[in-house]
Amino acid sequence: MSTQQTELKGTVKERAELALNNDFLRQAVRFTTERLRSGKLKAAEEHGNWDEWRERGRQIRLHTIAHLDYYLGEFANNARENGVHVHFAETAQEAISIGLEIAKAKQAKSAVKSKSMVTEEIHLNQALQSIDCEAIETDLGEYIIQLANETPSHIIIPAIHKNRYQIAELLSEDAGETLPPETSVLAGYVRKKLREKFLQADIGVTGCNFAIAETGSIVLFENEGNARMVSTVPKTQITFMGMERIIPSWADLEVMATLLPRSATGQKLTVYMSGITGPRRAEDGDGPEEMHIIILDNGRSLQLGDPEFQELLNCIRCGACLNACPVYRHIGGHAYGGTYSGPIGAVLTPALQKNVAEWDDIANASSLCGACYEACPVKIPLHDMLVSLRRRKVEAGHDNALERIGMKGFATVMSSVKVYHSALKLGKIGQKAVVRDGGIRVKIGPLKGWNSYRVAPSISKQLFREQYSELRSELGQQAKEADPAVAARMQQWLTGRDGGASHE
Amino acid sequence: MSDHREDWLKQLDERSKQKQEQFLSGIAAKLNRPRVTEKPQRPLRGAPEFWEQFELSEADKLDMFQRNFEAAGGYVLSAATLADASSIIASKAAELQALHVLRQDVELLEQLGLEQALPQVNVRSWNDDQHEDWKARAAEADIGVVLADYAVAYTGSLALMSSKTKGRSVSLLPTLLVAIVPRSSVVTRLGEVLKQFDEPQQLPAGIHFVSGPSRSADIENDLTIGVHGPGIVYTIIVDNL
Repeated sequence: MSTQQTELKGTVKERAELALNNDFLRQAVRFTTERLRSGKLKAAEEHGNWDEWRERGRQIRLHTIAHLDYYLGEFANNARENGVHVHFAETAQEAISIGLEIAKAKQAKSAVKSKSMVTEEIHLNQALQSIDCEAIETDLGEYIIQLANETPSHIIIPAIHKNRYQIAELLSEDAGETLPPETSVLAGYVRKKLREKFLQADIGVTGCNFAIAETGSIVLFENEGNARMVSTVPKTQITFMGMERIIPSWADLEVMATLLPRSATGQKLTVYMSGITGPRRAEDGDGPEEMHIIILDNGRSLQLGDPEFQELLNCIRCGACLNACPVYRHIGGHAYGGTYSGPIGAVLTPALQKNVAEWDDIANASSLCGACYEACPVKIPLHDMLVSLRRRKVEAGHDNALERIGMKGFATVMSSVKVYHSALKLGKIGQKAVVRDGGIRVKIGPLKGWNSYRVAPSISKQLFREQYSELRSELGQQAKEADPAVAARMQQWLTGRDGGASHE
Repeated sequence: MSDHREDWLKQLDERSKQKQEQFLSGIAAKLNRPRVTEKPQRPLRGAPEFWEQFELSEADKLDMFQRNFEAAGGYVLSAATLADASSIIASKAAELQALHVLRQDVELLEQLGLEQALPQVNVRSWNDDQHEDWKARAAEADIGVVLADYAVAYTGSLALMSSKTKGRSVSLLPTLLVAIVPRSSVVTRLGEVLKQFDEPQQLPAGIHFVSGPSRSADIENDLTIGVHGPGIVYTIIVDNL
């Protein structure tokens, strides 16, 4: 049951083409993202003062990340006080080897897992399999994806790309009998099957939505109850967390609990929100006897101290940017080729791996419309980051030679009025050979890339530049003084724009 | 075997403490400053100030809790006394032909007198016998009965804190969950419950907020109830407790 898929297969364009040719996928992604997005908008509006909450969420995340060494240390020390065995791993390999050491010491035959993007990131399942420890995903969507030997294509709805007939087929094979393509039957089968797995498992593996520094607690948000199972039933619990998951206090959790479920699914709160503070107490009748927390860097610290990308660590993994993104909504998650998809994935994947050159095409899979920023509950400027990534790629010399020459030519023409004017005139004559129905459709030379998908506009017969002096004199006669109230308001707005909340 | 395990864990912890220093110093270096060892000053903490002022009247709290909990697929009933609550549970048990009922070992729940009200049913009390396999008892239970510590109106959530007598499995493994909530335990905001965990104290190992039945929309966005946790959840708000 390999879930290896970080190896890039082809370019984002090729992967997107595959996705665009799959009607069901396109429709399902569009429908689901639309449902989640409108749910989010409704929930945010109903709650009210959404921007104030977003700003509060952003401030909490900024403060924590700016003092991450303090809060992470505080968290680790408090978790130890609670009886947790805390581990630090700089790389995916280190996290895996700690996890395997624990599994081996327990002679574990099986591990049940609740949803965790970090374990996807480090490929924990294959590692466990390699020591003959069965790793079982227990989130319904994740279980389906695991049977199909695929990776999640959406942070919140991992099996968004599968229809119920495909799911019935997968589960029928798993069950050894034919199951009808009815959701309730299929879910019922998984409930029964996984019940046994929960009760037999030696180890429970969870992710971590938030870790509370002041009390050493971890917090999990979920709807199915599988994360509660995983953290209640097996004797040993291993929690994998990205090192940036920290918030200082339970009071701060109220803000995150307000932002995360609403942004992810439009819920007021997920069905279960669990705060787990250490293993079972001596007198308790259930809960894990032994609890480990593995804190992972794996490229996250590369963002620290980088003014353009540090805010990436503020991400609370809600998936709202995926649902808002016009590109994601068309091509789906797998086209991004990494563990994380959508706008956040387009920035996070190259940022975590620091190999901008290899992932540069993902940064190009964005229209820079800023819908991701608008949707983000902690106001991460993802569209700015995408531009920075593109710039860094060019600075590192990974640009397209033809594009570079073209840009140089463009700069030469644009920097001189005379040259620009002659170029336009020349163009007006030159284009006559290729203009059809007012547009240019030939796919030759520099026009090939653009015209493969669109029609280039032709140069107008009457140029704006040629009409300008006429227009100006017409306007001059009509122009009146602006309404002083409007002028004052606009001036105030301009001033206010500079004085936005500053970073710490 | 046990000694061996202790030694191994000690070794792991030692290794981790050394690594911690290196790890945290690495973070400080990336942030271009020395290690922060004093608690940082915070300009703000928790929810916005205006939110802290938000407080509903008792009637509105009950009303809002009911609306939110039911919107999530749960049921809210009210009972004047524990005896009334008991008869509600008994009628549900009869309706479902329940064979096993598990309740937390809490005095108030003992006062429900479920053993007497359901003579045909195997009613057990969580963790009253050390030698019992309590996970198995919870897994076979048709109905789990718990005493919720709080109910939060604004999110429609029950707050359950674990302890010796209040097992986490009781609210998780049975098919149907009944939560008893004293009317006085209904609060307006989530923060009212969360903030008290910031006070110096030993927290319970498990703090669980439950907002309705277990659910999933993972198959074609089709809402499925009762995926892993209880598929039916009743909250009974009791007036005189």
